[in-house]
Amino acid sequence: MLEKQTDPTSPMHWRGDMQADYMYTNGVAGDRFFRHLMEKDTFLATKCKKCGKVLFPARLYCEDCFQEISESDWLEVPATGTVRVFTVATINAHGKKMEEPKIIALIDIDKTDGALLGIIKTKDLKRDFCGVKVKAVFKPKEKREGTLKDILYFEEKI
Amino acid sequence: MKDVAVIGAGMTLFRRRLKETGKELSFLAAKMALEEAGIQKSDLDMVVMGSAPDAFDGIHMKGENLIDGAAAAGKPYVRVFNGGGTGVFAPIAGWWHVASGVADIVMVVCEEKMGSCYPHPQTAFRHIWDPIIDRPLNPNLIWLFAMEMNRYMTVYNIKKEDIARVAVKNKRNAVGHPCAQLADPNITIDDVLNSEVMAWPVQRLDVSPPSDGASALIYCSKDKVHQFTDDPIWVDGVGWGIDSTMWTNRDLCFPRYVATAAKMAYKMAGITNPPKDIDFAEPYDPFDYKELHHMEGLLLCKKGEAPILTREGVTQRDGDLPICPSGGLLGVGNPIAATMGQKVCEVYWQLAGKAGKRQIPGDPRVGVGQAWGDIMQMATVIVLRR
Ligand SMILES: [Zn+2]
Repeated sequence: MLEKQTDPTSPMHWRGDMQADYMYTNGVAGDRFFRHLMEKDTFLATKCKKCGKVLFPARLYCEDCFQEISESDWLEVPATGTVRVFTVATINAHGKKMEEPKIIALIDIDKTDGALLGIIKTKDLKRDFCGVKVKAVFKPKEKREGTLKDILYFEEKI
Repeated sequence: MKDVAVIGAGMTLFRRRLKETGKELSFLAAKMALEEAGIQKSDLDMVVMGSAPDAFDGIHMKGENLIDGAAAAGKPYVRVFNGGGTGVFAPIAGWWHVASGVADIVMVVCEEKMGSCYPHPQTAFRHIWDPIIDRPLNPNLIWLFAMEMNRYMTVYNIKKEDIARVAVKNKRNAVGHPCAQLADPNITIDDVLNSEVMAWPVQRLDVSPPSDGASALIYCSKDKVHQFTDDPIWVDGVGWGIDSTMWTNRDLCFPRYVATAAKMAYKMAGITNPPKDIDFAEPYDPFDYKELHHMEGLLLCKKGEAPILTREGVTQRDGDLPICPSGGLLGVGNPIAATMGQKVCEVYWQLAGKAGKRQIPGDPRVGVGQAWGDIMQMATVIVLRR
């Protein structure tokens, strides 16, 4: 009783799974955000009439004021930003060692009050990326599918 | 509101992949708590279960599956969860059962069976993200913690070694804890700094590993507590708070949601000067930097000051403000919800003078427990007093 097992198959067991597949809708605001992204190299954001915050990625309401966004509150913002903080990821979502370490950054998007998780393409894994200005690099327009993957990566804006 | 006392607690071994099922672990912890309180299942009015995401145990709506092991079959029962916050939120839910006057004697059982998730429970974390904005990048939760840790280090110019001190302290504190998985009397700062890098600056020994385990806590109303003890440990305050779902919009440096929860609990407990009024604390420490973050969120020190207090020895078991005398998650283990064992049961045991080798010297009167969950945004706080 109460002994550590290093081999998950060592206790008598039943092998099971929780198989279920999903189709997640982009939502009303997300639909518009990603349709725009398929056509342009900029982002869409929405501005709260009450507090003036620019919500990014575009949302239908301001969560602080609980103010609904109207048609005139949508605006286009550049696909550029500043790295607030970053990590050098060496393990993937499954906890496995990645072939190549990646710079994963939280990027404050210009002219908005929002931020985005992004990959920074670089060869310099030892650099301190905090505060570095970056811009999004998109897939060619004909290959975009209306998901976050249409942003290939971010790179330093020179 | 009625006054609520703690009259018993229990906790199993915390280990990776135990043979016991979730309900068997629940049974073992519940039985220990019932024995410590000197009561039986039939004395319980109601039961509250705390268990984090279903995906760990791999049983959808696992609260239902765990009923019999939690001494809840045939009784009013509810399962609550908010991820890592559950270990303190379940006892908060148990408290309101009694404080409201609905029940006199209530048991809270917390359980996590992370070993079922194969090959690694990390896989279960893949599905907690926003599917549109975050999931396409296939993130690992550790990446986020790494960014939070880096932000904390960057803003306050904190050295990694000052964060590693927390892991060393807690793994040493866990020596003598009968449930501990990771106690190490000889661990050094260099061991932490030389351990494998997972996502810089997070290294292997900065992290508390997943475990299986269970813990239990029994409450009694003021009306009946004289039947069990002359010197009760009281729940003096509870609080909880949550930050935006848009984690990208959070202040990654100061956990303001912890402060929200702490202020709520302190107000209820009449605490006006936390560092003075509180004798010791069990902030949530799944990562070493989180203990520091949470000390600041709990208003136990100024922003950026927690690493300095740690370096100066203030947070050692025999220091002025002992932090994680149980050994915490870093030393004892991290079966998510079951960490109620370190965060609440330990506070009770310390105040009741039942902490054995881990006992804080002096005469602690006020202790605080805190947990942190959902996606880095939920804080739950409890204040116990003798
Ligand atoms: Zn607003």
